[in-house]
Order: sequence, then C-alpha cells, then structure tokens
Amino acid sequence: MERQGYIADRAITTALFLAREMRRPLLIEGDAGVGKTEIAKVLARLLDTELIRLQCYEGLDVSTALYEWNYQRQMLRLRLAEHEGKSADEIEDLIFSRGYLLERPLLRAITRTEGPPVLLIDEIDRADDGFEAFLLEVLSDFQVTIPELGTIRAEHVPYVVLTSNRTREIGDALRRRCLYLYIEHPSLEKEVSILRARVPEAGAALAGEIGRFMQALRRRRLSKAPGVAETIDWAQALLRLHRDHLDRETVEETLGCILKDHHDLREIGSDELEADLAVAVGAEAR
Amino acid sequence: MSGPDLVRLDLIQADQADLIHHLARFARALRERGVAVSLSDEADGLAALTLVDLLDRDEVRLALRTALKIRPCDVAVFEELFARLWSAGEEFRASRPRPPRPPQPMHGPSAPRALPRPASWPQAASTAPDVLPTGDEPGYSPEAVLRRKPFEELAPADLQEMERLLSRLALRLATRPSRRRVPTRGRGEADLRRSFRRAVADGGEFLSLARRTRAIEEPRLVVLCDTSGSMEPYTRFLLAFVLALRRVARRSEIFAFNTALVRLTPWLRPGRVDLALERLATRVPDWSGGTRIGECLAEFVDSWLDELVNGQTIVLILSDGLDRGDVEPLRGAMRAIRGRARRVLWLNPLAGDRRYEPTARAMAAALPYLDHLLPAHNLESLERLLPLLTA
Repeated sequence: MERQGYIADRAITTALFLAREMRRPLLIEGDAGVGKTEIAKVLARLLDTELIRLQCYEGLDVSTALYEWNYQRQMLRLRLAEHEGKSADEIEDLIFSRGYLLERPLLRAITRTEGPPVLLIDEIDRADDGFEAFLLEVLSDFQVTIPELGTIRAEHVPYVVLTSNRTREIGDALRRRCLYLYIEHPSLEKEVSILRARVPEAGAALAGEIGRFMQALRRRRLSKAPGVAETIDWAQALLRLHRDHLDRETVEETLGCILKDHHDLREIGSDELEADLAVAVGAEAR
Repeated sequence: MSGPDLVRLDLIQADQADLIHHLARFARALRERGVAVSLSDEADGLAALTLVDLLDRDEVRLALRTALKIRPCDVAVFEELFARLWSAGEEFRASRPRPPRPPQPMHGPSAPRALPRPASWPQAASTAPDVLPTGDEPGYSPEAVLRRKPFEELAPADLQEMERLLSRLALRLATRPSRRRVPTRGRGEADLRRSFRRAVADGGEFLSLARRTRAIEEPRLVVLCDTSGSMEPYTRFLLAFVLALRRVARRSEIFAFNTALVRLTPWLRPGRVDLALERLATRVPDWSGGTRIGECLAEFVDSWLDELVNGQTIVLILSDGLDRGDVEPLRGAMRAIRGRARRVLWLNPLAGDRRYEPTARAMAAALPYLDHLLPAHNLESLERLLPLLTA
C-alpha cells in the first residue's frame, strides 16, 4: 500500500486482507478526514480494477443508485415502432430491454464483465433506513430484480467498501453483513510518514513540526477535529506560501486550512496557539 | 493490502475444535460485559482466524476486532478480555458476570437540588450539547410578560391563558418536506418512469404526465415526561405542551415516569387539555413521588425503543435530572437511544436559571448523549424548542 502513497497500519491491512479473502463487504467508520474513502481508492489501484463509487445522501433512491430507463431513447423507439405497426406487447418487449437501461453504480458493479470491481458506498449514514434495507438485499445476494427485465445476477462479486461518519448508527443487520474497521486519527509517526509520502516537497523538519502541531491541536476539545486530509491541505498551503517552518504569524494566517468551524476558530485563541506551537517547534530544538 | 505472502495461512498450529471452543468462550465473555456479539459474528470470527497467522498475537487481535465488529465504544472491554484470552498457554477464565443490580432506594422529593454555582460553562458547552441561553430583553405586552413568567409563579388565573398560548404555539410546528419523492396528483415534477408506463398502455400516447413531489413528513416525537415530586410545578405545563404538540405530530408517543414507566399514549384522546391531564394523572401510579430515571429509561429501551424510535424520531426527555441512583443504567439507556434517534433533546426546568450547571449526577451522565439541553421553565423557552422539532 505504501507504494500507492497510502500509509496503512496493521489494523487496516488486516481488515482489507480479511475482506478480500472472506469476500465480505468492509464497513469503515471514523471521524471525517481520517482517510476512509482513500482506502477504497487505494484498494482499487492495488487490485488494478475499476472503482465504482456511490455517494449516499438523504433521499437517495433506486433510480439513482441502481438503474433508470433511458426515456428519450425509449420515446424515439416507441414512435418508430408505431409506424412499423407493431403490437403493444412487441413494443413493450422492445423498449424495456437492456439497451434502454441506464446503469447506475450498483448495477454497474454487478454487471461489470472484466473481473470484480471495487464498489465504494460512501457515507452510508446519510442515506435513509429504507435504502439501507435495500442495500442489505443487494449485498447479500449480489443480484437485482428489475420488474420489466427479470433478475440480473452478478458476473463477479465486487469488493465492497462502505464508509460512515457515524452521524447515525448503522442498522444491526447491515453491520452483521460486513466486516468492521474503525479508523482513528493517526499517531504522530504515522501522520509524519503520511505527510512525507503525500507532500514530499515538505522537508522532514516541516513535516515533523506540522505533525506535532496537529497532534497538540487534536488534544484540545474541538467540535471538528482536523483529519489527515486537513493536514495534507495545510502542508500544501504552507509550501505555496514558501514557508519551511511554523511561526505564529504563518499559523494564524493559515489556520483556516485546518480549523473549519467558526466556533473552533474563536475558541483557539492566541495563547492556545502559542502553546501548541511551542510543542511543535520546541521538540525540534531539543 | 498486505497480500497472502505477508499474512501466512497457518492452520497447522491450531486444533480447529479447540479454536472454536476458545472463540465461543471469548464471545460469551464479551456478551457478559455487554458487548453485542451474535452467533453470525462468531462464525465470521472463526473464518477470520483460519485466515491469519495464529501465532501472531497482534494480527489475531486485529482480525477479531474486524470480524466481531467491535465498535469504538467497546474496544476497551475487548482489549482487556483479549489480553486475558491470549496470555500464552494460560487457561482463559471467562469474566464474572456483572452482579445483579442492587435494589434501588427511591429518591423522593426530598432529594436535594444541585446547588447552582456561579456560571462557568466552557467545559459542558464544548462537549456537544449546546445550552441555549434564556432571553433577557425586556417584554412589553401582557402576553410577553406571561411568556417569560416561570411556570411555578403562575396564578390560577394565568393558567387558561397559558394553555391557549401553548396550543397556538404547537400549531406553528411546521411540517418538514422530505427529500423522498412520492407520486402526486397535483403539481410536481414529471415522473418519467410512471409516465412511460402509462403511455405504453395508451399505445404510446402521453395522455397525461405522472407527477411526483416531495413527501411531507410530520415530525415523530417520543416524549418521556418525569412526573416526580421535584417536577411538580412544571409537569402540568409540559404535559399540556406535549398534548398540544400531538395535534400536529399525530404519531407522537408519550410516556410518564417516576419510579416506573407508564405509556400514556393509549389514554390520549382529543379534547380539553385540563380534562386529559386529570385522566392521565389517574393512570400514573405514584404521581409526584420519587424518581428513578435510569431504570425507567432502561425499561423504555428494552420494551419500546425498537418499535417506536427510528431515524426520523426525535426523543424529548422532560426531567430535572435529580436522581441519586446509580447512573450506569441511565448511561446505557441514553447511549441506546442516541444510537437510534434522529435527535435527543432534554428539557430541564432548572436550566432556566442562568446559574444552572448540569452537575446533578444523572444530568451529567446523560449530557454526552444529548443533542441539546434546553431550559423549560416558561413559555418562551418552549418556543425556542420548536425549530429543533422540525429540521
């Protein structure tokens, strides 16, 4: 995984190994920005296969997730068929066939012929209960039934990764279907090596300072603790500004990269910043 | 992905039957400590163990965590039990089951109130639930005065006017348009799928377009109302408010609790609020008696949670949180409710005092699981609640 620029610890590699061997969906939970989605992307690159992503949101329904008919084409065909004088039954068979079906992510994952894809079902906690139940059915049998067409069975069972930000509890039944991985914010060593891998232009000294600052910051009570995604953004921003070390002025100017909550920005006053900065830079001096 | 070369398939070391036995005992120990591990989880655990290097203790630990679906809140228990299970060669002893709960003494109205201390909010405020401040701008109309008047200072003459205001308030409770689309006969966006189906039947003519629109969801409330002695001055108004809410949110459920939990919903009939209140009072044993919040909420979780609470439900707890009993059952119940409900609100009449701090033990234990802790000492504070019941 390291070659793909993803620094994984053993918990992650073990979970992925089991998910692959046991052919079970992997449910990944953790705070925003700890790299849940990234895991699926890296997995797809590793297996050298397609990543099919389904982003969940409230109100997500079957026509966006599974399939929809191509109405424009159906309509044109319908007019043509009428001129040809076909019967209603014939027309129906004609326009409700595979050629007029628009495949949405779930159906595409099931019907992909060139080997199993990685199916990423992102932020499942945002979809509603009804969709969760539907998903459970798809994930158990890997087949879907389209009333007009009949049942479509999976060509290859896809590798499924589900992510959740824990804005609500995932139903027990779905949880049971999956293997489970909880990702925490990274340790200092891990965070620094992630930075070195993702933003190699930042020197070891800067990466170390950033890492220690982020660790100190997360120990504070924040309503939105910054994730690794923010750390990487921040490092890139600092590079743009041609800074090679952290000082008070720099941090204050760029704090918006890591604290994205008005309340947090106000709470972390200059004293707190000073203290965290001392931790970050002080360890360097020793 | 580490690949099979890194993680050796190493079955030779373990006697399969022994492994099953070992795992079953481990799962039982977890269950005894309140970690939900089902039989299918155990099967997953076993499948996982056959795939990893059994001599690599760390890998076994991580594999079991993944396969048994250990949630972050249960990790500590898991780690502790795992440390005992895998202590090389040593006999694994199942942990002792938790001792049965000691009978709870009742905490009557004599329970001392938590002494309000000077306001120093920061710690509680940053834990998540925000406490809305009470308004202190001056009011001018008599109605405005009434709206600010604490419930316990109301004269009997104010009562009727108050109940009228309450019901008007509840009607303002807007209904929430859902993101889900449902078929409609009226205006709305075209529903091509259904239109097409119809057109086929009509020989390809679109005689009419099927339409769909956003579903309207009325809020679903579950109200748990503390009717113990210390809540006496407020109960009447809070219940009147809840009854008024039910006129808009018809699927609301109402429970009363003090030393026991009573489901009041079956006794609610439309009609005058004061009559309804009297009817309710006769149904609740030990009205104005002591209170055992934790046990009552735990009973709610056991008997009603699955049936009545889902992702759309807002759970409203009306209580002053004065209970000297064991806070563990309360904590467990709050965690379960939090896990299922859309939102958990706690209305506390004492929170109307600006010096109030949620230091009473039960209140402090529940705090981490709340979306909002709100005052409920006058009408104005109830008005602030409305937006939280809709969005």
